[in-house]
Amino acid sequence: MSDRILCKFFVHGSCLKGEICEYSHDSKNPVNNVCTFYQKGICLYGSRCRYHHVTTTPASNLPPSPPLTSDSESESTNLQQQDNNDIEKSSNVYCIHPREYPICSFAAAGDCPRGNHCPHMHGDLCTTCGKKCLHPFRPEEREEHTKECEKKQKHIEALKQSQDIECSVCLDRILSKPTPGERKFGLLTECDHPFCIQCIRNWRSSAPVSGMDVNSTLRACPICRKLSYFVVPSVVWYSSPDEKKEIIDIYKAKLRSIDCKHFNFGNGNCPFGASCFYKHAYSDGHLEEVVLRHLGSQEGETVIADNLRLSEFLGGLQIF
Amino acid sequence: MIDYGRVQKELVDCEKNKDASGVRVSPKSDNLTRLTGTIPGPIGTPYEGGTFQIDITIPEDYPFEPPKMQFSTKVWHPNISSQSGAICLDILKDQWSPALTLKTALVSIQALLSAPEPKDPQDAVVAEQYIKNYQVFVSTARYWTETFAKNSSLAEKVRKLVEMGFGEAQVRSAIESSGGDENVALEKLCSG
Repeated sequence: MSDRILCKFFVHGSCLKGEICEYSHDSKNPVNNVCTFYQKGICLYGSRCRYHHVTTTPASNLPPSPPLTSDSESESTNLQQQDNNDIEKSSNVYCIHPREYPICSFAAAGDCPRGNHCPHMHGDLCTTCGKKCLHPFRPEEREEHTKECEKKQKHIEALKQSQDIECSVCLDRILSKPTPGERKFGLLTECDHPFCIQCIRNWRSSAPVSGMDVNSTLRACPICRKLSYFVVPSVVWYSSPDEKKEIIDIYKAKLRSIDCKHFNFGNGNCPFGASCFYKHAYSDGHLEEVVLRHLGSQEGETVIADNLRLSEFLGGLQIF
Repeated sequence: MIDYGRVQKELVDCEKNKDASGVRVSPKSDNLTRLTGTIPGPIGTPYEGGTFQIDITIPEDYPFEPPKMQFSTKVWHPNISSQSGAICLDILKDQWSPALTLKTALVSIQALLSAPEPKDPQDAVVAEQYIKNYQVFVSTARYWTETFAKNSSLAEKVRKLVEMGFGEAQVRSAIESSGGDENVALEKLCSG
């Protein structure tokens, strides 16, 4: 009887097994009231835990720990191994690896008012967003968060810098426009003058006055009159040519995923042909193959031929 | 739909820099579609010392359409009609850009006064005179500036008309009813 361990539930006066309990109900027996979670590194109850938070078991029933090397990395792997051994040994005991525990949601959203007294695990501080949201035991999640956070931060910074930029047409600050749809820049590919998307599109689509050369007026930048063939919408302004290229590439990639309404799955005819930004795919999913026909023009220049139809030749024939 | 916000901003901007450029824009009525621009005659030209008034009408699609501008002060210039005051300037027609403003347009008109373009005339008579008889052109332009573009004080206007032989009380009421324009007042006095 004396070699038996005192029943934990009996100590708290709540053992339901009574006489048939396999643990000792004799209060003289040594108590094994050590928190196994704390020994493994983390106990979610913290200071409110009913069990003792000591690192060594008083009974010292555990096998002697393997010798530790000075290398911290091997130390952690050793601990890991020990952990695994423990889990294997006590497979019938309810035990969860700390990575399975969620972190305190208050801390993850900023800071936890309970501080050190919080029963939940607190994440490590993310230096980018200043929130304690990095899970200490989930490295892949940490990495993902850090990446995401840096991306967000970059976006916010770009937005801040874009805040004061005015459109030269409406003379308003583009990001201070009343509706969200208007708070967009219209990037011209060939120059770096900022406009709001609404203004530059309005200008480019306005009806040409007689005698007006469309390429040197409507399609040109209103400020420097440099010809740009298309306008790219963007919620932020760029600060380097690389950023501009990235914005344009993302926009083009997005358009390429949308089916061209002129092409209409092969049933229509797109006036933009091979230079169309939209997707030219047939209804079975395969993409249109682009074959350009180069013709030598009379002036000796090479021109790209439009789609020619036999009927156009036959229609011009006169049969005698 | 006129972008009134932009017109308003342009007016404020003009008011801020009126001393540096000499160009002024003020609304004629309270709806901002009709404005009056004022430019000083460029120094070193026959227009020096004159103040020229320009009628501005803001079109429906402004700023995607150029503002309509016309001299209300009579000017002797190859690219400005001596009859109607119509201006021949590319940026007010096919070379308009929405990045241009009323102020930049008025500054361009001011530049046009100092650099006439007789090969692309608005007023053929003036252009011919400019090419064939430059001296006569200069003196005519100067005379027109003296006569139409100089704001003489009320007392001076009254004195001039009284010298012509009209009664002073009659002259004063005529000037008053013609809004301070002594030429209109003279016509009134002659006809009445």
